[in-house]
Amino acid sequence: MSAATHTPAALDVPRHHAFGRFCRAYAKRPAGLAGLGLLVAFGVLALAAPLFIGDDQLNVIKVDGPQLSPPVDGYPLGTDQAGRSVLLLVIWGARESLSIGLIATALTVVLGSAVGLLAGHYQGWVGKVLMHVTDWFIALPSLPLAISLSAVLGQGAASITIAIAVTSWTATARLVRAQTLAVEARPFIERAKVLGAGNTQIMIRHVLPNVMPLILVSSTLTVASAILSEATLTFLGLGDPTGVTWGSMLQAALMGGAVTAGAWWYLMPPGIAILVVVLGFTLVGRAVEHVLNPRMVTR
Amino acid sequence: MGTGNSRRVRSALAACALSGTLLAGAALGPGTAYATGSAASAASAPSGQGETTLRVKMSGSGIDTLNPFLAFFDGAYDVFAAIYPTLNSLDEQGRPGPYLAESWTQSDDKLTWTFTIRDGLKWSDGTPLTAEDAAWTLDLIMKDPVAGTANGSLVSNFASVTAPDATTLVIKTKEPQANVTYVSVPRSGIPIVPKHVWEPLAGKLKDVKNDTFPLVGYGPWTLTDHKPEQYAKFDANKDFVLGRPGFDHMVQQSFKSVDAAVAALRSGQLDYINGVNPTQFKALQADKSLLTIQEVGNGWTGLEINHNARTRTGKKIGTGHPALGDPVVRHAIALATDRKTLVDKVRDGMAVVGAGYLPPAWPQWSWKPAAGEETPFDLDQANKILDDAGYTKGGDGVRVDPKSGKPLELRLGIHADDTDDAGISNYLKGWLETIGIKLKIQTLSMSALNSDLAKGDWDLLMDGWTTGPDPTFLLGIQTCAALPKDDGTAGNTDSFFCDEKYDELFNKQRTTFDQDERARIVGEMQSILYKADVNQMHFNANTLDVVRTDTVTGMIIGQPDAQGMYPAQSYSFWGYLKAAPATAKVTAAKEESGGGALWIGGLVLLVIVVGGGIALKRRSTADDRE
Repeated sequence: MSAATHTPAALDVPRHHAFGRFCRAYAKRPAGLAGLGLLVAFGVLALAAPLFIGDDQLNVIKVDGPQLSPPVDGYPLGTDQAGRSVLLLVIWGARESLSIGLIATALTVVLGSAVGLLAGHYQGWVGKVLMHVTDWFIALPSLPLAISLSAVLGQGAASITIAIAVTSWTATARLVRAQTLAVEARPFIERAKVLGAGNTQIMIRHVLPNVMPLILVSSTLTVASAILSEATLTFLGLGDPTGVTWGSMLQAALMGGAVTAGAWWYLMPPGIAILVVVLGFTLVGRAVEHVLNPRMVTR
Repeated sequence: MGTGNSRRVRSALAACALSGTLLAGAALGPGTAYATGSAASAASAPSGQGETTLRVKMSGSGIDTLNPFLAFFDGAYDVFAAIYPTLNSLDEQGRPGPYLAESWTQSDDKLTWTFTIRDGLKWSDGTPLTAEDAAWTLDLIMKDPVAGTANGSLVSNFASVTAPDATTLVIKTKEPQANVTYVSVPRSGIPIVPKHVWEPLAGKLKDVKNDTFPLVGYGPWTLTDHKPEQYAKFDANKDFVLGRPGFDHMVQQSFKSVDAAVAALRSGQLDYINGVNPTQFKALQADKSLLTIQEVGNGWTGLEINHNARTRTGKKIGTGHPALGDPVVRHAIALATDRKTLVDKVRDGMAVVGAGYLPPAWPQWSWKPAAGEETPFDLDQANKILDDAGYTKGGDGVRVDPKSGKPLELRLGIHADDTDDAGISNYLKGWLETIGIKLKIQTLSMSALNSDLAKGDWDLLMDGWTTGPDPTFLLGIQTCAALPKDDGTAGNTDSFFCDEKYDELFNKQRTTFDQDERARIVGEMQSILYKADVNQMHFNANTLDVVRTDTVTGMIIGQPDAQGMYPAQSYSFWGYLKAAPATAKVTAAKEESGGGALWIGGLVLLVIVVGGGIALKRRSTADDRE
């Protein structure tokens, strides 16, 4: 647990107990385990993809498969218009889709937590200004904003990642601020202040560890929506046209007339892959939420 | 495609991708929900008892404005061809024929053209249509820069246009001009507007939307209604001089995706689509109630190289890679492009391997490199000439320009909404990588692409143009006169090409009245372009059309050749005019066997797009739910 790294060594022992307790509670949630299983499977496939997928199978100038063919021998999920195996494309697409989703989430969480923590701690004009900025971002419609951002920043994975982060940090910020306010109202913060702890120490040493479980839950759920947003944005044509992601596969299929041609083998696999991974993150997120949230313990 | 001079219809889709409206079209396209939403209005078009309506897909570009002096989009040109008259019409082979003008003669010095205008024609509001209307329209375009926005270049060589009487129009040109009878033709030429309606508006043309319906005009149709991005509705002009339209009404329906239009066509809500892609074409060939035809391509798709961007005075501009000024590098790129594979894989074989600058639809201008002068596909040769010229490979396999010391990393701009571009860029990237040139693909909207082009801020661009039967315009964008001025204004250059010999030939062909001699000059010009490797023609795509056979007959003009290829269709003028209701009505529209899978595919897309929207939205409301 990352929270452990911020706490004094003396607290490590009980925290380890807490982690064990968390694992045991999590293991009792079959949906959570199923979600974890799905994610591990996709993660392993994505990481191992370079071991069994070579340039020869993805480079359009080297492949020699039939064009837009339904599943046949050697191509269990058929081929795309250039004659590449859809199965291999889906596996390769997991790499980009997952990494954009995870990096965007990391950015979201860092940005959102920082703003939330500062706004919760400095409740004067700093907090007011930060929350007004947050409100302003909430009021902006996310999809058009993400689309215009990636259009301005130029096409590609980096701009999509940034666009997702910029449009999704607000929820984390509000969440963290609320929790920060709750934590700072507790007596031990007052004690720390009396003992001479500075602002930084209170925020990093005392508040952050207590907000961390909440951030963890929120980030697991954010990954799911970040992956979905990534697919949406690349589907709308804002990704790298030569890159392989699930969204860009769907875009290529749609633009190329696969719908009219009835090429289900080209449309379904990336769609289902998105569905499964998003489902996996959601299941894991819900399970973690149930385990960590005391109000949900009984259920 | 029709017969206009136009950069391909690309802008509309890019624009809607940006505004997010593609979402709706794309998500619902596979099903029929989207199609019915808008096609319902088509089905309920103002056809009274027993009246017939022709329902066609509007050009993908849509209509930018109904003001004929300002419009640039294909969709607008289609409408003008239907509702405003022109001096000449074009026949199947693209030769000028009579329309408003019954006949025309040239003076001996070739500087004066006299057109005899038909007597007794009336605008749709009953006012007589005379030579004065034509003279006033052409004169306004010559003198008023705003009026010349769209078509000013067509009359740049005109000295004066006058109407001595109601049936005589006299055009005097500064230099002899071979193509005067192509200046005012349907779709690619200047539409004549009613003087009595437009004269009061002449001072404020920039703001004229021209949207009081029904529009006063003269043509096979009268425009009775138009909702931007939805539809344009027309009534037939039963007294039309070139023949009565076969239908009583026409609706041009706008579709955000061709797949949605195809779904509407299959279910019997649409009669005709001009321009489907090869995958859609193949799928529709199996449908017995549809006629699928291939037109000889009237445009090219290719690569442009920023070899030396500069202004008219020779001032260098832009950020083009210096190595592209070296003919060796450009020739290596040409050697590393397998045009045959592009035709087979990107167009599914439904295209002609490109070489000459003018498309095969107008065989009078077609040119092919002589035997032994063609650039073959030869990666080894490409590597060799680069090695010999001193472009050595760096550690990462990318060659380095010995003069500037910059690695050969080039930007390739492609159109955001063009599947051909996206497909080709994948292949180019692969081939060029094997000869040590690295490509960075930049997907750009039509407007971004055009503004980069004018500033010279690019290395390589995918581009495409279609052209009508007169080659002057397309050849003109490669002349030195098309270069921008020092202040960056003016100039419609396509690749900053400028060659003295080419310019000389360009002026010569314009004043050459002998057809064979002109063709020879035009061929020589294409040879210069071919050898320069600045505009590398990849292919001339066949235009693919689909028309319902149970509702429409007579729409397709001309006879197929031995390969089954039809001549380029001037569909928006002759096609819509000659189309007539089919007598045998087949009511049941069959669903294809892939229907179930399509629904599932559509559902998956829906889940993703709507889910994505919800996911993005959800975050903003997350704290409400806590």
